[in-house]
Amino acid sequence: FALLLDFKATFFLGRYNDDFDDGEDLAEFDDNDFAEFEDVNEDPTVEVESEPPPKPAPSSIPVEDDEDEATVEIEDGQDEFEDADAQVSDMYSKYDKDEFEGYEKTNSPFKDTLIYQDVPAHLQNSWESYYMEILMVTGLLAYIMNYIIGKNKNSRLAQAWFNSHRELLESNFALVGDDGTSKEATSTGKLNQENEHIYNLWCSGRVCCEGMLIQLKFLKRQDLLNVLARMMRPTCDQVQIKVTLNDEDMDTFVFAVGSRKAMSRLQKEMQDLSEFCGDKPKSGAKYSLPDSLSILSEMAEVSDGVMDSKMVHYITNHADKIESIHFSDQFSGPKVMQEEGQPLKLPETKKTLLFTFNVPGMGNTSPKDMDSLVPLMNMVIYSIDKVKKLRLNREGKLKADRNRARVEENFLKQTHAQRQEAAQTRREEKKRAEKERIMNEEDPERQRRLEEAAQRREQKKLEKKQMKMKQIKVKAM
Amino acid sequence: MTECRCFGAVAHYKPPSTDSNPTLEDPTPDYMNLLGMIFSMCGLMLKLKWCAWIAVYCSFISFANSRSSEDTKQMMSSFMLSISAVVMSYLQNPQPMSPPW
Repeated sequence: FALLLDFKATFFLGRYNDDFDDGEDLAEFDDNDFAEFEDVNEDPTVEVESEPPPKPAPSSIPVEDDEDEATVEIEDGQDEFEDADAQVSDMYSKYDKDEFEGYEKTNSPFKDTLIYQDVPAHLQNSWESYYMEILMVTGLLAYIMNYIIGKNKNSRLAQAWFNSHRELLESNFALVGDDGTSKEATSTGKLNQENEHIYNLWCSGRVCCEGMLIQLKFLKRQDLLNVLARMMRPTCDQVQIKVTLNDEDMDTFVFAVGSRKAMSRLQKEMQDLSEFCGDKPKSGAKYSLPDSLSILSEMAEVSDGVMDSKMVHYITNHADKIESIHFSDQFSGPKVMQEEGQPLKLPETKKTLLFTFNVPGMGNTSPKDMDSLVPLMNMVIYSIDKVKKLRLNREGKLKADRNRARVEENFLKQTHAQRQEAAQTRREEKKRAEKERIMNEEDPERQRRLEEAAQRREQKKLEKKQMKMKQIKVKAM
Repeated sequence: MTECRCFGAVAHYKPPSTDSNPTLEDPTPDYMNLLGMIFSMCGLMLKLKWCAWIAVYCSFISFANSRSSEDTKQMMSSFMLSISAVVMSYLQNPQPMSPPW
């Protein structure tokens, strides 16, 4: 039995001997040369108790260092190499907490200096850390949803408006719906979509007018930002109708009626209203209009002429839907701000009737509300016919002509200096161009001839000027 | 009712030229387009994720407000630029965006 044990010890020792490559182990080796012949201690508990002293030292050494471990074991005695199990249990028993009496204490300073690093968020593999991104994407999806819903609502409203007005328009106009792309003016019979919130309709082919452009200016329901802004400040959809007239269809006058706010705004913004209707907007009580409306007019006769009983009836019944009604023979749009001072030419004017109506519902309109705008369209048609028949009397006409002459004179005076400058620059440009032409002329013969011609022209001009001065002097005398 | 339609006097539709009334035009889509481009450039160069996200929003808003006559190429290019800004910011730095608070 002892021989067997010895054999086993030799076997294990042999294994360990192969691992021992360090020189430092040699000394211990010498001491234990005869260790292999010692009896192996069968009692594992004894060896356990003898282990505590050297244990703290090897415990701080990494576990993989079998050589050191083995060295220590050899020093203690070969009783540990009984069998593999004992060896294994020995290794594990090393970590038995009963053994390490002072271990926790020595370990605590290490704990304080241990820094627990956070695992970076992108390595955490959890979707929760990306909550900002999810918020952003949700916002985008909400925007897209709102775009689709708003677009559809606007489209439905436009279609409802057109369906309720189609009959009236088709009975009054030869051409209903033209987008301006085709060469011939053929009726398309449908609205022209300019935007997701603006729809146009051009009607033409009627007596008393050149054409009528209807613009359905809806709210920007397709833009979420706009929807949110509208929650703070509600506005409503608008229908804008612009009737352009031929010269013979309208007499010369400027007139506007509408809500007080609209009137004061238009008076400041519109070129013709600011020039011809200088007085502040007057109340329409004279014609028994509601208080919410006011009138801007060139002269009293015009107001009397326009505000006949039927017109008053229309306006009073639909006062909440009327934003502004503007009749003008000098219509040129809003005042244009130009950087180089006043524009050099009077703006082009066109005889126009402008109507702006508010769609009821204050933003929360439904397609049914469009029917309530049909009477307003009737009013528009009535106005077209009426304006054709409305003629100022002699006095009124004189006044109107005087007004227009006055406005033109004012304009010319204001721009006189600028026009002079412009004329001067134009003359200089011409001279310079001619000089250049002469210089560029290769043939010296022709050059001389051109120069002479230019000189003669200059001479003539001087003579003319002198003649004029003489004439003026004679006249003065 | 007398016939008031006049088939002979039909006038062709002339779209109002924008040169005559620049004030009537809505500048929103142009501003948003420009903002979108600026933000996406910032997001790409400075590697700021929130810039890139705002650029995406700007290009969406510009698209929603655009006129039908406007060039779709312009719209698509600004949209693609903002998407690329977002993608590049995340490729370079996959960490999630941290809120400013």
